[in-house]
Amino acid sequence: MATSILGNPLPAITILCAVIAAALLVHYIVKRPPLNTQTKLLLLAGLGLFPILSAGSGSYAGFVQTTKRDFCGGCHVMEPWIKDAEDPHSTSLSAMHARNELFGDKSCYTCHADYGMFGTVATKIAGLHHVYGYLTKYWDTPLEEAVKTIKIFKPFPNSTCTHCHSTTLPGFAQVPDHKATADDATASCASKGCHGPAHPFASNGEPTAPPHGAPATGGTP
Amino acid sequence: MTAHRQRQILVAACVMCLVALAMIVWSIVLPSPLSVMVAMSVAQGIGTLSLMLYVWVVIADLRRARVLGEDEKAAASPAPGKDGNVG
Repeated sequence: MATSILGNPLPAITILCAVIAAALLVHYIVKRPPLNTQTKLLLLAGLGLFPILSAGSGSYAGFVQTTKRDFCGGCHVMEPWIKDAEDPHSTSLSAMHARNELFGDKSCYTCHADYGMFGTVATKIAGLHHVYGYLTKYWDTPLEEAVKTIKIFKPFPNSTCTHCHSTTLPGFAQVPDHKATADDATASCASKGCHGPAHPFASNGEPTAPPHGAPATGGTP
Repeated sequence: MTAHRQRQILVAACVMCLVALAMIVWSIVLPSPLSVMVAMSVAQGIGTLSLMLYVWVVIADLRRARVLGEDEKAAASPAPGKDGNVG
């Protein structure tokens, strides 16, 4: 706990500011002092300063939380994907990336976030789309049905892969299929037969590879 | 605005702010899609409203104090003479 507070003090700051503000507000409600300058300053701290600090640090802490795998798994229909990503023996593309220290507990976000200037905003808007879809459609969907019906909203962009994997290394161009992707922009790195599928579920919900079986097609240069 | 009315509004603002703070702390202690979204939208809306209520009461109080101050100053100063000069 102490390590996590030192590593990320925002949750502690949020709670501390909220507690101070709450103490000031409860003091006013219970004691009901006259509205003089001192009371106005007390209420300015209790209704303005500390709540704003708490909300600001809490919002940022919340934003950080939305990038974590646990957060994605907060919706029950994501459980199969989360289980696979956390399975140390799984050979799916997503699980192999989740075992990479650079991805860590943010493996979902790292691969599914948009990049560029407005990438974070676009990702958050897409996240609201996910929440809307969950609340209106998938909130009571059984897991067996979820793996059959839930699909990615738009084709997985290769730019996400090339954000880390270089396409300028000599070895990349020597692979014939890689040359083909240069001509065909619609060919996805994560498509079946190339390096994918990324998750061990086909669109019909059937496992595409045994979780503890042979390595997935392709490697990670 | 009477002092009693001011106090009522400020107590309401305090209660609203406490509710907002509880939502924010909830999102930190038990982070889930629902709690984080509520903290970032509903809680911030309620918190902003409570701060606006406070600002409203303070402005009303300052205006009242200024009016009272002018009245007291007028009462304290002597009445002007017939020629308009202060005697």
